[in-house]
Amino acid sequence: MKEQPPSTPRSELGRRNLLKATGLGLAAAPALAACGRGFGGGGDDESGDGVTLNMVWWGDATRAEKTQAALDIFIEANPDIKIEVEYQDSGPYQDKLATRFAAGDAPDLMAMRMDSLREYADRGALLDLNEYGDDIDLSGLSDNAASLAEVDGSVFGVPAGLNAVGFVIRKDFAEQYGVEVPDGNTWSWDDLGAFAQAISDASGKEVYGTGFDVQTLQNIVVWVRQQGEDLFTEDGQFGATEATVEAWLTMADGLRQSGAYPPAGFFEEIGGGPEASYIAQGKLASQIIPTNNFLGYNEACGGNLVLLRIPGEAQAVRRGQSIDCPHLWSVAADSKHPKEAVKLLEFLTNDPEASIATGTTRGVPANESVAEEIKDSLEPDDQVATEYLMGLQGEDLPRSYTYPPGGSAIADFLDVIAVEVEFGRQTAAEGAAQFVAEAKAAIAG
Amino acid sequence: MSVDTESAVMPGAVAPPAPQVKRRRGARKDRAGYLFLLPWFIGMLFTIVPFFASLYLAFTDYNLLNAPKWIGLENFTAMFRDPVLLKSLQVTFIYTFVSVPLSLAAALGVAMILNRGIKGLPWYRAVFYLPSLLGASVAVVLLWRYVFGLDGIVNAFLGWFGVPAVSWTSDPDYALTTLIILHIWTFGSPMVIFLAGLRQIPVMYYEAAAVDGASKWRRFRSITLPLLSPIIFFNLIQSLIASFQTFTQGFVMNNGGGGPANSTLFYNLYLYQQGFNQFNMGYASAMAWTLLVIIAVFTALTFFTAKYWVNYDS
Repeated sequence: MKEQPPSTPRSELGRRNLLKATGLGLAAAPALAACGRGFGGGGDDESGDGVTLNMVWWGDATRAEKTQAALDIFIEANPDIKIEVEYQDSGPYQDKLATRFAAGDAPDLMAMRMDSLREYADRGALLDLNEYGDDIDLSGLSDNAASLAEVDGSVFGVPAGLNAVGFVIRKDFAEQYGVEVPDGNTWSWDDLGAFAQAISDASGKEVYGTGFDVQTLQNIVVWVRQQGEDLFTEDGQFGATEATVEAWLTMADGLRQSGAYPPAGFFEEIGGGPEASYIAQGKLASQIIPTNNFLGYNEACGGNLVLLRIPGEAQAVRRGQSIDCPHLWSVAADSKHPKEAVKLLEFLTNDPEASIATGTTRGVPANESVAEEIKDSLEPDDQVATEYLMGLQGEDLPRSYTYPPGGSAIADFLDVIAVEVEFGRQTAAEGAAQFVAEAKAAIAG
Repeated sequence: MSVDTESAVMPGAVAPPAPQVKRRRGARKDRAGYLFLLPWFIGMLFTIVPFFASLYLAFTDYNLLNAPKWIGLENFTAMFRDPVLLKSLQVTFIYTFVSVPLSLAAALGVAMILNRGIKGLPWYRAVFYLPSLLGASVAVVLLWRYVFGLDGIVNAFLGWFGVPAVSWTSDPDYALTTLIILHIWTFGSPMVIFLAGLRQIPVMYYEAAAVDGASKWRRFRSITLPLLSPIIFFNLIQSLIASFQTFTQGFVMNNGGGGPANSTLFYNLYLYQQGFNQFNMGYASAMAWTLLVIIAVFTALTFFTAKYWVNYDS
């Protein structure tokens, strides 16, 4: 919103008291008090000689199990380090992380969202891993992966795994309605439209041909890059033009009007995982998913999914797909045990044993040789996703730049105008103009 | 006894000052009272400190990570230029001014039906009260989402009458309406208070009016409403304040987003987003204090009009 000058504490005492006071913050006092004192805290463990690291992340119980398996290996090798783990859903996680920093009680090692990275890093809250170059080796990461958390020559995180977006198609519906599954390496957006239309027509709209999220940034990013633009440019600006955003909205609206895509109001907040998704319920024949969720979706769809690239890659001005990550691991600048935290991070990133334990719950290991090494031990669906990603990684994709501060608000703006256009309350042109203006204003602050 | 209960129900009514003679004994009694209040005072500390901290923060640029920086009134002037904030105010005002009168009317209506001496009154009272215990809870809003979903009960019901299915929760034209209906449904606590008030109106007034040949409507207008007006006043203030602070319904409806298209972005929800998602805690604090002023103004207005319609000489 506003520019953030470097911190100039008036008096240390005043600032500390204030931070404590505000940590209790506003109306959410009880909840915040709980997170300040109740859990973790990550300070010294006075009872023994060792140190206790506080590690926080978001995810579900399955991910927790796999993560714990990896941590157990680490603890066995490092008996003097204890690890207190906290995990929860991604929404509350985000709020809690912010308040823990505000309360001066930051965790040592934490999952960091890509779109929040610079909100924290630019304000000096995260450790520059380049300063710990002897403790962590990032040379095994591809350029695509290593640059994800790089800001002006400093590295503020390591990808916990790599993923990308992919188009999944239910081949059982394709067969049932006699429509051929397109070739994922060469298909165009028109091919997607034709496929989806054929499914919707043949099923009498029992099954809609496609239902990818129009309002998800990860999806529109591919489209924007295909037009030769960047959503976020190298110098941290918003780079998509109105024409490109309008074309995206118009394309989706055209599919909606022709019945290839479900009508306005069809998608409701149903929550839940892949099992609850519309494609698993049999109401959609295709959609876009993050590749690290392929296993979950394929299981929910009875093993009937095929994983394709995003349409238009062969026809576009340039490649649109990019290597992304579900989240980064970052270390707090204020961590009392940065060396130990970095050691744990080194283990998670570069030790094949860690990745064998965690599998690809957070995506394909960022270290390429580790990824290669664990591939055969993965379940078949995870292997499909891993091969898909490693295929992309071997190609010459234009670099993508990380979210500038203020960038996390942009997802909300897109969500609003996508609905406005969906219900015909705004034209695609109006929506695109509003979105671009709001996005630029948010980044300008 | 009856005076005590009445003044407990009517905050507008001022209790007569206690006689001076009993002062010593009163002081000891007071001490016991304060002792019982101790947990509350301790709890208050956790409210008071953040309360004043947020007042200070309202005049700062504070991103949670760096020290707050004094910027004077900038947060407040920025609010006038923030279209999303104005949208959230609009949502909150529509919600309040539609749902508060309607839910009070529903509460009074049901209370009057229950007051006619039907059998099993406690049971009915509990049943009607139940929704207001659950109304703002996450579970009920989720349930509501299914009831009003595209394949939900409401659309199935309307379908019998040939009304085409409406997406009640994901259509920006209907989502707020759905939440207003949810609010009206949770009329239980004003209803219970109305019921208590209705029982205090002496039956003889109605009997006398009936003898004089007054119609039902006339009896309602000339006896029930005036004698119940202090309680209506109380319920109105309570509901207004609670309604301006609505948060959960908008938060749960669209996974914390206030969607679709910000149509359920309540003021408090936007405040929360600014503070905890966008790291604009200074701005969020300014919003909180502005809401306090808005609520104070509307409460004051209600108090001001009270002398024209609230009747205290029963």
